Amino acid sequence: MLGDYATIGIFLLLTILFPLAALGLAWVVRPKPLPDEEKLTTYECGVDTQGRTWVRFRVNYFLYALVFLAFDIETIFLFPWAVRFKALGLFAFVEMLVFIAILLTGLWYAWKEGALEWY
Amino acid sequence: MNYSLLAPEILATAVGMLVLILGLIFKDRARQSVGIISLLSLVAVLILVILRFTDTQVFFNGIYQVDTYANFFKALFALAAVLVILNSSQYMERFGNKKSEFYALMMFATVGMMVMASAGDLLTIYIGLELMTVSFYILTAYLLEDETSSEAGLKYLILGAISSAVLLFGMSLVFALSGTTVITQIAGQISREPALIAGVILIAAGFAFKIAAVPFHMWAPDIYQGAPTPITTYLAVGSKAAGFAALLRIFIFAIPLTQFNWSLVLAILAALTMVVGNLIALTQTNVKRMLAYSSIAQAGYILAGLAAANQYGLKGVLFYAMLYVFSNTGAFAVATAVEVNTGSTDRDAFNALGQRSPMLAAVMTICLLSLAGIPPMAGFAGKFYLFSGAIQAGYLWLAFIGLLMSMISVYYYLLVAKAMYIGSNPQTGAMTVKAPARLALWVCLLATILIGVYPALLSNWAQTAISIFM
Repeated sequence: MLGDYATIGIFLLLTILFPLAALGLAWVVRPKPLPDEEKLTTYECGVDTQGRTWVRFRVNYFLYALVFLAFDIETIFLFPWAVRFKALGLFAFVEMLVFIAILLTGLWYAWKEGALEWY
Repeated sequence: MNYSLLAPEILATAVGMLVLILGLIFKDRARQSVGIISLLSLVAVLILVILRFTDTQVFFNGIYQVDTYANFFKALFALAAVLVILNSSQYMERFGNKKSEFYALMMFATVGMMVMASAGDLLTIYIGLELMTVSFYILTAYLLEDETSSEAGLKYLILGAISSAVLLFGMSLVFALSGTTVITQIAGQISREPALIAGVILIAAGFAFKIAAVPFHMWAPDIYQGAPTPITTYLAVGSKAAGFAALLRIFIFAIPLTQFNWSLVLAILAALTMVVGNLIALTQTNVKRMLAYSSIAQAGYILAGLAAANQYGLKGVLFYAMLYVFSNTGAFAVATAVEVNTGSTDRDAFNALGQRSPMLAAVMTICLLSLAGIPPMAGFAGKFYLFSGAIQAGYLWLAFIGLLMSMISVYYYLLVAKAMYIGSNPQTGAMTVKAPARLALWVCLLATILIGVYPALLSNWAQTAISIFM
């Protein structure tokens, strides 16, 4: 049993040592010119960034994401039920209707409160 | 399977949805009726649970259990929710145009708590916990114009998410070792090894966040102070009791003391919580914040009973959780009344309350004395059970710390009483208290005294509830 923990311990040790070794080695072998302006940009070989990164964006993004998430999870629930539909029978069918009704109430609420509108 | 035993949960969920829909259709016109519907349904839940108190049933291979223990806590949550809703009548104006959602969220939080008390499976407990906490995230931030309320909501969201992650990690470790998430089956599958200890400690830490035990208490004062006062009450009373309900079931059933001595861990947590909670409460000048620290200290007392894990201790946990509902709700209800009337919960605002509104001052004094554990009130009987349990289990030092800290707590509780009866206030005139809130005050007052004078009633009930563990 302790052998298992030794494996985890060695793994942990390696995960700490490996990046340190990689970074250290790179630091030893790389040329060391003074950093210039180009070097200090966020993406040295990419497109230059425009404006600041800390900008406000609409809370609607989150509302959309939440509504999407609810229905995404719904599919996950519906899928196994649909596969075993015949075996599960009427009880599960009614259960699923109740489940969907609850979700629809949520959608109704979100819709009416304007979560799906973009202002 | 007798699904009618799930009626309390189904009823509460259905009414929560109904209230949401009514609010959508009728907007603000539905406010009164929506409140009455939620209140009546919660009373119905309470009656249902009490009538079928001894009916037991195991659902879905142990995932969900309806037993006396769960029923005791369900009654507690319904009772607390009723008192909080009655009390929130004073606060309604501040909720703007989002009144029916308030009731719906209260119902959903209550359902979450009921699921936590009944769950016989780690994941079901987690789902109940999330339902409760997510409702509380929203309720905490309910005062949209109030910056401290929004801040409290955001803090609670972030810290709550972290504690959920910790809890879930602990559960996953226990699952990895036992191969099952059903609580009663875990005990037979685990053996003593380091990963188990890590898992149990992580689970304890996750719940310690929810019950605000030191050193996981940092969130509590800010959030208790920022949240709308009725919600603070429900957080302190309901959310905490739900945490204890789940913690007790997991530890007693799933983790045998011979595998890992969690009792000592909880005893140390309890001692720390009692000492830190009481000492910091000493210096508070805001009554709401003082009550927040006091509720941290109260969690310490209850943890002492849980650490004892014997008949007296466990009975004490349930007994104390129930009387705590009355005493704490009473104190918070008075704080709400003062806040609504004067706009402040500083201790100075309570000055001369004894002359202005004798009833409010009386309820506050009785409830605070009960929280301090002074004999004729309910708190004394509760502490008696808790500390007897601790002594029986061999934690003499823990009982000693508890008694010492109770004595210290009398000081800061009585400071409020002093302000109310001896303090002078330029403002005079009685405070307005709405009728439903007055009813809640009376219930808290009478129950606190009744349980203190005649504890056998509640004690027998608690005894039946913990019989599943013995």
